Parts: sequence; structure tokens; C-alpha cells
Amino acid sequence: SEVCYDRLGCFSDSVPWSGTVERPIQRLPWSPDKIDTRFLLFTRENPDSYQRISADSSIGFSNFKTSRLTRFIVHGFIDKGEENWLLDMCKRLLTVEDVNCISVDWKKGSRCMYTQASNNVRVVGAEIAYFVNTLKDTYGYSPANVHIIGHSLGAHVAGEAGKRRPGIGRITGLDPAQPYFQGTPIEVRLDKTDAEFVDVIHTDTAPTVPYLGFGMSPAIGHLDFYPNGGVEMPGCEKNAVSQIVDLDGIWEGTRDFMACNHLRSYKYYSDSIIYPDGFLGYSCDSYNAFQTGSCFPCPAEGCPNMGHYADRFKGKINRDTVKLYLNTAEAKDFPLWRYKVTVTLSGNSHVTGYVNIALYGSNGNTRQHQIVKGTLKPDNTYTGYIDAEVKLGTVTKVKFLWNNNVINPSLPKLGAATVVVQSGEDRREYRFCGYETVREDVLLTLTAC
Amino acid sequence: MEQERGLVFNLDTGELCLQSAQCKSHCCHRESGLSLARCAPKAAEMQDCSRKSLYGVYYKCPCESGLSCNADRSIVGTITNTDFGVCEDPAETKASR
Repeated sequence: SEVCYDRLGCFSDSVPWSGTVERPIQRLPWSPDKIDTRFLLFTRENPDSYQRISADSSIGFSNFKTSRLTRFIVHGFIDKGEENWLLDMCKRLLTVEDVNCISVDWKKGSRCMYTQASNNVRVVGAEIAYFVNTLKDTYGYSPANVHIIGHSLGAHVAGEAGKRRPGIGRITGLDPAQPYFQGTPIEVRLDKTDAEFVDVIHTDTAPTVPYLGFGMSPAIGHLDFYPNGGVEMPGCEKNAVSQIVDLDGIWEGTRDFMACNHLRSYKYYSDSIIYPDGFLGYSCDSYNAFQTGSCFPCPAEGCPNMGHYADRFKGKINRDTVKLYLNTAEAKDFPLWRYKVTVTLSGNSHVTGYVNIALYGSNGNTRQHQIVKGTLKPDNTYTGYIDAEVKLGTVTKVKFLWNNNVINPSLPKLGAATVVVQSGEDRREYRFCGYETVREDVLLTLTAC
Repeated sequence: MEQERGLVFNLDTGELCLQSAQCKSHCCHRESGLSLARCAPKAAEMQDCSRKSLYGVYYKCPCESGLSCNADRSIVGTITNTDFGVCEDPAETKASR
């Protein structure tokens, strides 16, 4: 069957919308009036309270300016347009750029059965396409200036809008929803043909059955980022009490308790706005390969930044799908900077234990990171990777410490003859030399050779 | 996780704690007297710190191994665990003195 609406056209529930393995239950989208999509405009003139606009003359009376880019932010299932993360994201965007930031509220269509919400997505996408068409026809505003950021079901809203209104500049999918979309044809879900540039952040890609993963795992955009491997996000394995009683309050804690991994996607994007040089993504075959050190450092043309500044890499895309991996911190601020550390030990006693290295640079110093644990033989070389919580700039010195948590009466000594540090971003190598050996739990400073 | 994860011991960074012994990082930290305490990483060089104490909870974490906290002791501070300083490398402070 089919349902038609005057402004937005007709919506059918035949294949591929229903009656397939991925979308077994038949549902027609609700009417635009029932869903009541609302466009909440924030600009530098009104950063704290939105102006409600719609696809008519109200645009002309609002602070909307055709001289600047427009970024739509679309929430997902059960969520709403006035939720903090959308308002905070607009606020942050406005601190770094002068844009029309529009939060799209479709809570009346997202707070229902999931099988219904996943079809209401089509009407909301059509509403955004209609809005962008009005901008073009009435105000001569090009769709290439439009960027749609969609979380979960909101990512497929963006895909639908992009399909109906070709020429949209960019779509960012924040953990696009998996149920009812993964494995469906491109007309149903977000894919790279929906905009000139499509970047995706995957943070909850475990299968929905049985692991309750909510996000899609396949790479569907021009750049697909899989922070921390895309399955388990650091900081999401806290026990229930610690998760719910969150620093930002019980409500944020409850949201995290329900879908911590899934919500990390918009938290990473929000942090990326204020860290233009953070979240470097390394192109690699798998997360394991990335973790064990292949795909390091960045190639000559550099690595793309996950999040807001991913479009700097737009011109350098050559292959079809690019899977990018990186690690993040477990709480905000999330970005980390990756370094390779190679330690050649010195001394004459052979011990078991662990070796820590702390990096010092022009912009600060890191805490101690463990490079190796096990047998430690002088003259052997050990390699480890550090995701530093500080962007060091030029690395000026390193400090070495070893320990084995065993009281040895012989008070053995160990040292590091050379430590080589390579920065992932600019491939630059720094060599440091050490001339002494130290006992356990004593820091040995190595300076440039 | 090699050791078994419990609600009470081997707590990760960010988990609620009452005593530093519960935390893997050995630092149960709270911002103010009123806020809840959570496990936090030990302080790195140049970061604020408090001296190791028998108390369970710190306003500033003690330093990482190999570093010492240059907080000077005061009677009140020892009682209320509010003697703060900055983590230093003893090798460097000896050399500079």
C-alpha cells in the first residue's frame, strides 16, 4: 500500500521498505503533521535560545543568513531536538565558525515503536529536502552549503534528505542505526551517494542480536572512522552505579547506561570541533593490525581528522571505501595523539618486569605509559605505542622507569641506552640517549643524542 | 581482565570508590568535599598532587612512581589531607638544589 502527502509526495511499504529479511514488519510513515518536524535555528546572533523557523517566509524574518554555511543536526530514536547534546553542539560550532546551526526536532516521530520510527525517518528526510529546496528556490541558497549531521536514525534521515535533494555538500553519520538499515539497498539507508562528501563515525557496531549493538558496522561513506575499533568504547564498561551517577548528572548517566557506546559518536564529534588537530584516523585493514603497529605513521599526504574537520581530506580520497582507526580517551576531553616508542635497554642484569616511558615536549608532558612487560634483557630493543593525552609538539626528552613488583635483594639496575620516539602525525623521529642505569622505581632522563 | 572485576575492588578509572585501595590506580579522588569520589590516575610530573596518606580519598592524587610531591606539611593539612604540591623528579630537584 501507499500513503501520499501534498508537500512531500508518496511513501510505499512495498519492497525494499518492508517485506524483506532486514525489514520484516510493514509500517507506513506517519503524516508530516503528526511527526511535526521542527527546525530550531541557532546563530551567533542567538547562540543560547533558538528561533523556530520553517520552509516559508519565516526564514527571511529570522537570523538565517545566506552568506554562511548551514549545519543541520538530527537526533535519533527516542531522542529530541532540545536534548543537551544538540544544543551544546550548536553552541560549540558557533564558537569556532559563523554558521546557521539548525537542530531538527522530530521527537513526535521518534518516540514510538522502533519499526514505526525507522519509517518516520523518510518523512523527516523529505521535510529537510523540502526545506533545502525552499532555500534554493526562494533565497538562491546552494545545497552545496548544507551539511547534515545525523545521529543513529538521524543519519538515515540525512541519507533520505540527500537522496531526495541531490547536491548536498556533506553528510556526517554518527553511528548510523543498524536495525532495519544494515544490509538494505542504498535507497533505504545512508550511503556515499547521498552527498558530495559523506563521513561516518562507528562506535557501537556489535550485532544488535545478541549484543545490543545499535550502530552499523559496514563502511558506507567516503571516510569511515572506527574509534577504538568501533565496538567497545573506553569508559563505557563502568559498573552500573558509577555509570548512572554521572558527572553531568543522573539523566546523562542514565542515557549512558542505556547506550554508552552509541552516544559516544556525538561526544567525539563535539570534542573534534574544539580540537582541529585531534582524532587522527589511520587507514588500516583492521583494528588489530592498527593496534599491533602496522599502518603507522600517517602516509605522506597525512591522515584525516575524525569529526568536524574530516572534510579537509575531501580532495585526497582515492579508493572507494576507507576504514580508519584511532584510539580515544575514556572521558572528555577525548582526543589522543599516537607515538611509536622504541627502547634499547642497557645494563648487565637480566630481569623480568615492566618498562614505562613518559614523553616531554614543548606543549607539556605525558604521564608514564607502559611499553613492555615481561623479560627485560639489556641490548634488546622493545617497541610500544603510546596514545598520549597531550599533543607534545616537538619532543624534547623522555623519562624511563622500570619495576617488577618483586623485592630483589640484589638491587638490580637497568637503563635505556637509546629511546626513539616517532610522531604518528608528521612521521618525525626523535632520538634520545641515556648513559646510566637505575634501580627500580627511579626515573632515568634521556636527552637528545 | 586478569583479576576478577568487582563492584568493590579493582575499580577502573571513573568508577565510584570510598577508599584508594579499591582502585587499580590506587587513587580515589574527589573534586570537593561534597562531590562523590571516583578512581583517577596518579598525577604526572608538573601536575598538582598530595602526599601519600592513610586516608582513603584524595583531593589531588599522589604522584606516579619515581616522582615526589613537594607539598610542605602542615598540621591542619595532614589532618584534612589538604597539603598540596606539584610532582617533581627527585633526580632533577637534587641536581638543581
